[in-house]
Amino acid sequence: MQSLLGISRLIDALNERVGRLIYWLILAAVLVSAGNALVRYSLNTSSNAWLEIQWYLFSAVFLFGAGYTLLHNQHVRIDIISGRMSKRSQTWIEILGTVFFLLPMAIAILWLSWPVFLDAYRLNEVSTNAGGLIVWPARLMVPAGFLLLVLQGFSELIKRIAFLRGLIPDPSEKHEGPSIEEELAAELRRQRGEPA
Amino acid sequence: MTELLIHNMAPMMFGALVVFLLIGYPVAFALAANGIFFGLIGIQLGLLEPSLFQALPQRIWGVMSNDTLLAVPFFTFMGLILERSGMAEDLLDTIGQLFGPLRGGLALAVIFVGALLAATTGVVAASVISMGLISLPIMLRYGYDRRFASGVIAASGTLAQIIPPSLVLIVMADQLGRSVGDMYQGAFIPGLTLAGLYAVFAVGVALFKPSWAPALPADARTLKEPDGSGGTPSLVVLVIVATTASIAFAKYYYAPDAPTDVVLVVSTSVGVGVAFTASVINHFAKLALLSRLAVRVTFVLIPPLALIFLVLGTIFLGVATPTEGGAMGATGALAMALARRRLSIRLLKQAMDATAKLTAFVVFILIGARVFSLTFYGVDGHIWVEGLLTNLPGGQLGFLIVTNILIFVLAFFLDFFELAFIVIPLLGPVAEKLGIDLIWFGVLLGVNMQTSFMHPPFGFALFYLRSVAPGRDYLDKLTGKLTPRVTTGQIYWGAVPFVVIQVLMVALIIVFPNLVTGGLAKKQAIDTNNIRIEVPAEELEPAGEPGRRGADQPGTEQQNSEQEEAAKALERAMRGDAKPALDRKK
Repeated sequence: MQSLLGISRLIDALNERVGRLIYWLILAAVLVSAGNALVRYSLNTSSNAWLEIQWYLFSAVFLFGAGYTLLHNQHVRIDIISGRMSKRSQTWIEILGTVFFLLPMAIAILWLSWPVFLDAYRLNEVSTNAGGLIVWPARLMVPAGFLLLVLQGFSELIKRIAFLRGLIPDPSEKHEGPSIEEELAAELRRQRGEPA
Repeated sequence: MTELLIHNMAPMMFGALVVFLLIGYPVAFALAANGIFFGLIGIQLGLLEPSLFQALPQRIWGVMSNDTLLAVPFFTFMGLILERSGMAEDLLDTIGQLFGPLRGGLALAVIFVGALLAATTGVVAASVISMGLISLPIMLRYGYDRRFASGVIAASGTLAQIIPPSLVLIVMADQLGRSVGDMYQGAFIPGLTLAGLYAVFAVGVALFKPSWAPALPADARTLKEPDGSGGTPSLVVLVIVATTASIAFAKYYYAPDAPTDVVLVVSTSVGVGVAFTASVINHFAKLALLSRLAVRVTFVLIPPLALIFLVLGTIFLGVATPTEGGAMGATGALAMALARRRLSIRLLKQAMDATAKLTAFVVFILIGARVFSLTFYGVDGHIWVEGLLTNLPGGQLGFLIVTNILIFVLAFFLDFFELAFIVIPLLGPVAEKLGIDLIWFGVLLGVNMQTSFMHPPFGFALFYLRSVAPGRDYLDKLTGKLTPRVTTGQIYWGAVPFVVIQVLMVALIIVFPNLVTGGLAKKQAIDTNNIRIEVPAEELEPAGEPGRRGADQPGTEQQNSEQEEAAKALERAMRGDAKPALDRKK
């Protein structure tokens, strides 16, 4: 179990690293997209490659960010029922959900999307828009992103089982630091000279 | 047994979906797993082609190359940067001081600022938190009714969800297969009307229950002239001048049939520009013609109005796509935060981090929904739903009433992303079949979904207000009086009249469809949504125009693998997949 926990820590670190890297792509996408609009309006030209970069960046954010989001337990759920259950029951839901929901769907998509990438790569497929980008990097993002998600799924599974065995504290209660809303509230309170 | 299974696949799948979702595992994965699970059963039963799942990569590709959804991270990011730029605080302080001395004035100020923030980008949480920390203590200090005060704050915060540019409308447009620009134009007047109804309610309270919304004493205003006067007359003059300028501009510049929203946005900008110029001249020439209040009001209104023009103005004028409008707004918000020295690397990282997580979970719900629908449409689920909904008594009206009640009830449990991705695709095609305009339908449901932010006990707006409203009795800093805490019950009860107003708004839109379509009918919106230089026919998207391909595109055809062709053919065959939204969009 300890070695499994080691693997889990490794996966967590990987997805954390990836997450912190890809969120910069948001800024890049913002600037590229604003630039596209300005250039089109002022110079009256535009480039399909730059239009496509926008959504390449967008896709990279959500595909590579899926595992990171899972790591931080930010995928929304409907917890009106599970919210009232005991910690143990909630952990069982996580385990069963990971095994029967997350892993099958993620592995299926990973499996199915790999050959699509291979074909795009072999044929050196290019976007059909004039001056568009080569397609295979975007095709590769799908299996790569889902691989990260699958890995994170295994890591979560290991952590929940370890929790049930009493080896680690509840992984769903890890300290996330103040949320962006809490920070806003804290800053407003500071400005008003009130205790936080 | 098998026979029974085959005939009832769709209802069973739907029932299982409800169970899967209620288990409490992330919605995105439960949805997808449901699709795959029933897909496998369907293949076993011979109901579905074994190659069904070959279409999955193509579906994900469709989500990736979807320009519309790109607006979601842009507007989110813009909102997160903007909420820390200090703009909301300035507005609340100044407008609060301006209206405060009137009975019910603070409530009106909150509604006005809420609408203004909503039109810049609007993040419900941020608006509610700012108002809850800035306006609520003042309201409590001067004896506002606690229920009314918290209700007006929560409701004004949720305006962000219906006044464009809002995320709800983007997702709605995407799911209904309409352009975001049209959806924005359609929602503009209803959004403002809703804010107006809140204001009417506040005025009503001020008139009939004066003790609920007292006027602030004159000394509560800190923005004064050196001689102690309030400086209101000069502001009134400035407002009259500016308003005249905008009306004159609207009259002479635009033809009478120009679309309302464009006229409104541009003429307002002209009026504000006039006021701004006057203030600047006054300042530099040391004319002392304008009071401090007048100058201050002008200056705090400039940043939000500039942003509104940058985003909505460019979208309505057809200069930018909604996606690009979001990007420009985000750039503008960054510039503003930078200029006010509020932008730190830490804040930037935090905003990007929150945006990335939101993007991932939203898009994954959509991916889950697409996997689900692949099977669900395959087993003719859409026909089942259609049968259920078209056979309602009362035709169109019956359908509208039932769907609205459905959304209203579901909004207690589901947030709007879930509603939009799971429920809307089922309702859209039926609405279209019944001859309902989908823009109108989308705006209607958008207004309705607002209630999901206000429903006790799960409403987000109430939740955020609870987190910042005083939870313990406290000593007021200014008066030194012990002020009792705001109870959760007060927050819940305060929301009720505003939920009623929202429902009333839904009814108004049904009775007066012109509220939505009025602005649209005048011109066909310049649909810059689909800008892309097209030399050959579009082929990036799957199932775009079946039949046309190949014939005129022999060159590109070869680049496509056979497998992908199979997937596309399958999608084409399943065009019952009557959800044009994603695949058909360019």
